[in-house]
Amino acid sequence: MSEPAQYDVVIVGAGIAGALVAKRLTTAGLKVLVLEAGPDTTRSIADYTSHLETFYAASAKGAESPWPPAEAAPQPDGGDLFKDKSLPANSGYFIQNGPHLYGSTYTRTLGGSTLHWLGVSLRMLPEDFEMGSRFGLARDWPIRYDMLSPYYEQAEHEMGVSADVVDQRYLGLRFSESYDYPMHRVPPSYSDRVLGAAVNGMRVMVGEDSVSVQVRSYPAARNSIPRGSYQPVGALDVDADGNARRSFLGERCEGNTACTPICPVQAKYNANKSLAQADRRHLTLRAQAVASDILIDKSGHAVSGIRYKRYDDPGSIQHTEEIATGRIYILAAHAVENARLMLVSGLQSQSKKVGCGLMDHPALYVWGLAPFNVGSFRGPQSSSGIEDFRAGRFRTRHAAFRFDIGNDGWHATTGAPDATVNDAVLKQKLVGQRLRSHLEDQLPRQVRFSLAVEQLPNLKNRVTVDPSNRDKLGNPRPVIDYEIDDYTFKGMIAARKVALAVFRQAGITDCSSNAVELPFPVAEYEGEKFYYHGMGHCAGTHAMGDNAETSVVDEYQRSWEHPNLYLIGSGSFTTMGTSNPTLTLAALALRTADHIIARMRKHNPGIEPGPRRRKETQRVNPG
Amino acid sequence: MTTHDITSIGLLHRQLFKAMQLEHATAPPYISALYSIHPGDNADAAQILRAVAVEEMLHLTIAANVMNAVGGTVDFTVAGFVPSYPTVLPDGEHDFEVGLGPFGKDALETYLKIERPAMAPRGQARHVQIKGGARHFISHPHDQTLRYYSIGEFYAAIRDGIVYLESEAKAKGKTIFTGDRAKQATAEYYYSGGGRLWPVFDVDSACRAIDLVIEQGEGELKQIFGAEGEIAHYYRFDQLQKGRYYQIGDQPGQPTGREIHVNWEAVWPIAVNLKLNKIPEKSELHAAVADFNKAYREFLAFLTRAFNGEPKLLLEAVPRMFEFRNRMQQLIRNPLPGGDCNAAPTYEI
Repeated sequence: MSEPAQYDVVIVGAGIAGALVAKRLTTAGLKVLVLEAGPDTTRSIADYTSHLETFYAASAKGAESPWPPAEAAPQPDGGDLFKDKSLPANSGYFIQNGPHLYGSTYTRTLGGSTLHWLGVSLRMLPEDFEMGSRFGLARDWPIRYDMLSPYYEQAEHEMGVSADVVDQRYLGLRFSESYDYPMHRVPPSYSDRVLGAAVNGMRVMVGEDSVSVQVRSYPAARNSIPRGSYQPVGALDVDADGNARRSFLGERCEGNTACTPICPVQAKYNANKSLAQADRRHLTLRAQAVASDILIDKSGHAVSGIRYKRYDDPGSIQHTEEIATGRIYILAAHAVENARLMLVSGLQSQSKKVGCGLMDHPALYVWGLAPFNVGSFRGPQSSSGIEDFRAGRFRTRHAAFRFDIGNDGWHATTGAPDATVNDAVLKQKLVGQRLRSHLEDQLPRQVRFSLAVEQLPNLKNRVTVDPSNRDKLGNPRPVIDYEIDDYTFKGMIAARKVALAVFRQAGITDCSSNAVELPFPVAEYEGEKFYYHGMGHCAGTHAMGDNAETSVVDEYQRSWEHPNLYLIGSGSFTTMGTSNPTLTLAALALRTADHIIARMRKHNPGIEPGPRRRKETQRVNPG
Repeated sequence: MTTHDITSIGLLHRQLFKAMQLEHATAPPYISALYSIHPGDNADAAQILRAVAVEEMLHLTIAANVMNAVGGTVDFTVAGFVPSYPTVLPDGEHDFEVGLGPFGKDALETYLKIERPAMAPRGQARHVQIKGGARHFISHPHDQTLRYYSIGEFYAAIRDGIVYLESEAKAKGKTIFTGDRAKQATAEYYYSGGGRLWPVFDVDSACRAIDLVIEQGEGELKQIFGAEGEIAHYYRFDQLQKGRYYQIGDQPGQPTGREIHVNWEAVWPIAVNLKLNKIPEKSELHAAVADFNKAYREFLAFLTRAFNGEPKLLLEAVPRMFEFRNRMQQLIRNPLPGGDCNAAPTYEI
């Protein structure tokens, strides 16, 4: 050993995985450094308000519109997808080789992609962990649902998830006795209730199975009415020195219909809330610090440091280089960035699988007009879904899927309400009272489903790096190879068929099937065009498994080759299932934190054990 | 032997009604000022005003809980519950006026006076002679010529009264806590109550509730942060005047936290203490202001129901308050005819 390490643990990335681990490790007394590539501009009300203003001023309100990246830490953007007409698409942050465009993005700012996420906090189904043994597809996870279940409960409390457990016992999902979520479910919107009344109990054939449909409230990391002594965590107001003030904002969801890309009151969870609960005595946060290289010691195995480039001004690439050292290193930088950092450091892993198996939930929109006013554009962006097609025997043949039922009209699909106005004025030439009546008639009837379709890990779908293609700071950019396979296309076909059957049952006029030239990536399968979008569910790039030959990390997300290195986040997912990955990656992160604490305690019995769940119903310490 | 101001349950009810009046009376001035700020501008000032207004509403809720606990009646619809602005508040020996108007330097001075912590100097009476016939929220329970030195003293007398009356009642094998527990508004019903709203059903829970009001509002002058690390109202506003946030360890008057930039110009020039009869009758504006007042009157009746056994209604109160915000934001964008000022709610109930 040369010099003693500066920290017990160095974490790369202050998104949800990094924040949860930092909180738990510092609470146990471990000295933690968190390196965050993006700027620290999301923790005070004043800073957050300026992001809101950026969003208001943006002409295109994409997922990243409130969160423009620093020059030194670029990020993918939805707008990148259409700059290049042919492949490789090279004008954004990603270099996309195709054959299909990878539609998902992420945020490189303190708090990560939880700044822009929707807040859907579904658990994976028990069978999602067993795709190999149950369906002969891909591989089983090295852990099972019941092993993760206690950590799901903890994650639901850490993040503040609102749901009623009675709604959530379906398709094998099970909960410990007397368990319930920390807050009551967010009230279903009026349109959810109207739709439910029209379609609940209808049956749809999928393969040989007749499936009963139900409109179901989904667990959301948005503040609602607390259960028991749970205290919802509202908007953060933390100054540069880490002092927190109580904000009196966002302790309940206000239904601003803007979860994505920015909740104006922070009623929706973001990772900064967890980071603010870390023990400040043991936490060092270094923002604007872009990790550029993982250093390996002479043994060729153990990590000896993380080299990073620190910039002073988000508008400039002026920087200095520094090295952070710790006893343990955790990459929590996002599925794509973790893989990129491993690859630029020459750490391919024995299995050669770093970066391979990139997944998403490629999703279709189906939209239509309800036969009467259903109160669109009210409530959170969505509050219910249809979950009945997340499991079934059909999974041997095609992908599973789930629907999100929008409360935001055709906002996501056509750009309503603005686009509805444009269309009425410019195409239909409506003015005055007729225009008004038209809009009053149309807008509150707009219905939108988002059909998120499962994708299996395909080793050809991957992140690589090309040393000749670098970002402004000199870090190689991610190169993406991505193809949607037959399994997923067939799932898309089945999902669309179900959605249209639900529309028919509810008397909703489909307006999506004949739509052309949509602003989304397009793929063709058996002569049919599929306009799909990324769900931001990047996963699979350092998948976990039970041996070093077939996987990158073990069940604790620990690198098989590098005993003091962990790669955490949805990159560790063995398979994808249909649930939004955030809750699962949060549960995995907490499990990893407990594992690290136990491991460190062996060498230093002074370290406190990991906290228990019931005590964790705290709120941000205002002091 | 101590003398007590509050010597009967009737007097306790009377003082608790005044407490509710008082806590409510500060909300319209703060909220008018809050919405006079151009949206998106002055995020720090807006945030501070909002935080204080939310806590004043919490105090109103706490006062109502105590009232219900001791068997009183919560009724916000009683004539005179809402004062005619400007109204008068005490600042130690002196009175000052509190009115409805835009956010600005003068308004900030007034907020500092409202929130300035003041307990009567040692050895000095906690009562002050009322001057010039002013009507006071914090008058003595039975001597109409006296008021309390400060809001803090007013609440301290209520707390003394509760302790005294309950010990008297207990001696007779009775209690003053005869209220229906189902009327208590608790944290699940209150938007921003986080841990600071509990059912009141005995001396301990009542005293803790009153102490919280004293600490948040009136705190000790020397103490910037309360026990929970929460900053007292006076110092919240002091930060705006000093242009800098306080942080733990700071001395009063010398904040060392992040700088605050206040743009005093980014404010709608709403009329000060506007009255409905100053707006041309039959104008749209007149109707809109009258509508606002009517809606507010209905809202007070709605809240009254909430505190009379239907606490769940507090959940519905939140969207109704958004409606007020929208109405208010419409009003304050409309210039009054013939002047340089814009309209505003008048709170003539």
